[in-house]
Amino acid sequence: MNAYQAEAVILRTWPVQEADQIVSLFTRPHGRIRGVAKAAAKSRRRFGGALEPMTWVSASYVEKPKQDLVRLDSCEVLSSPLSDPVDYLRAAALAFYAEVLEEALPDHDPNEPAFRLLLAVLHHSRTSHIWMPVSYFALWITRLLGWMPSVTDCAVCGEAFGREPAWFHAEEDGLVCGRHKRPGSRMLSAESLLLARRIFQSPIAALTEESWPAHRSADLRRFAVQALERHLERRLRSAAALAKLGG
Amino acid sequence: MARLIEELRKLPGVGAKSAQRLAFHILRSPEEDAGALADAIRDVRQRLRLCSICNNITDFDPCAYCSSPTRNQRLVCVVEEPTSIASVEKTRSWNGVFHVLHGTLSPLHGIGPEHLRTGGLVARAQRGELDEVILATSPTVEGEATANWLADLLRPSGVRLSRIATGVPAGSDIEYADEVTMARALEGRRQM
Repeated sequence: MNAYQAEAVILRTWPVQEADQIVSLFTRPHGRIRGVAKAAAKSRRRFGGALEPMTWVSASYVEKPKQDLVRLDSCEVLSSPLSDPVDYLRAAALAFYAEVLEEALPDHDPNEPAFRLLLAVLHHSRTSHIWMPVSYFALWITRLLGWMPSVTDCAVCGEAFGREPAWFHAEEDGLVCGRHKRPGSRMLSAESLLLARRIFQSPIAALTEESWPAHRSADLRRFAVQALERHLERRLRSAAALAKLGG
Repeated sequence: MARLIEELRKLPGVGAKSAQRLAFHILRSPEEDAGALADAIRDVRQRLRLCSICNNITDFDPCAYCSSPTRNQRLVCVVEEPTSIASVEKTRSWNGVFHVLHGTLSPLHGIGPEHLRTGGLVARAQRGELDEVILATSPTVEGEATANWLADLLRPSGVRLSRIATGVPAGSDIEYADEVTMARALEGRRQM
């Protein structure tokens, strides 16, 4: 029996029994794990509002041999999404981070870059400024999972896109040039390609001062979400909600 | 027997063993008790409906709250589910009526604005039939998002909008309040 205290971000919860909850959490040292929080719905003392998805916590949990679920003893809030106003758009963005990580991260596999990415985008996800962190997360998490193709040259002929747009198709990985696009392909503008390269070279803080309306990099987000959905082999509900809201 | 166990297993929180235990209990109980249970289940499906004004579950329309002459019909408390009504009514200090949304905005579950029952409330606010709408959704991310979205929807009607207070629960120890709860308690402090 091993007891741990570790930084984690709550991904999802499911009620079980009368007041217990199954909690999926992305921990810094152990990756995504699941645990049982006994009497979580009743115990304000041990959990309070700490089990709200996307809350950054210091979690105490006990791992028992031959058991998939850890015993979650307590969570201390380090940062809560409820500290700032929440509108539907911000709720959809937070749900998007949670859904992607819940679906994509393997159990018990630490992923420090993804953890740092999540903390960074959570810090910058404010009601008035949501599309930049969503775009940043969508691109970076696709890359960290190893599913992001080259954004500089054609996947078929290897020619650099330069100042030309690129094309992507729902049934294919990778970006191609205008000569190799298939019918039904969608365009990724030259501006978005440049932006993607900047995102991959810059910390998120370097992009915060820029104006970022919903239409900016919408094609880039669509491309990243498509790559995620193709590899996860399922539709992301939160991505559909974001798309309805303009992204 | 297998059919009964299978049907009972479909109930929330009832596993195979519990279903078996319940089925044997029904089998051993007097015939009239088993009959009463079956009648109650049938009645709940046949007689209960949603109130045409507030969407509460009721056996007559409009519901007891909406048809009560002693309640202030211009004061509406918006709740997520019919079960939330009991929590407000327990206070014995609420004399207004309710409006039930039957859910909250939940991008993870594919629940968007089109799935919430808000049409009647917005129409009543636009007709000037309401003085105040109190948004009593849970203080969670989804509850807050729903309250903010609904406030935006109702604001053009000019109705007074308020949000339930959040903070340290009565009878609890401040020592165990988390940072968000404590911050909100300080924000929502009142003069003495």
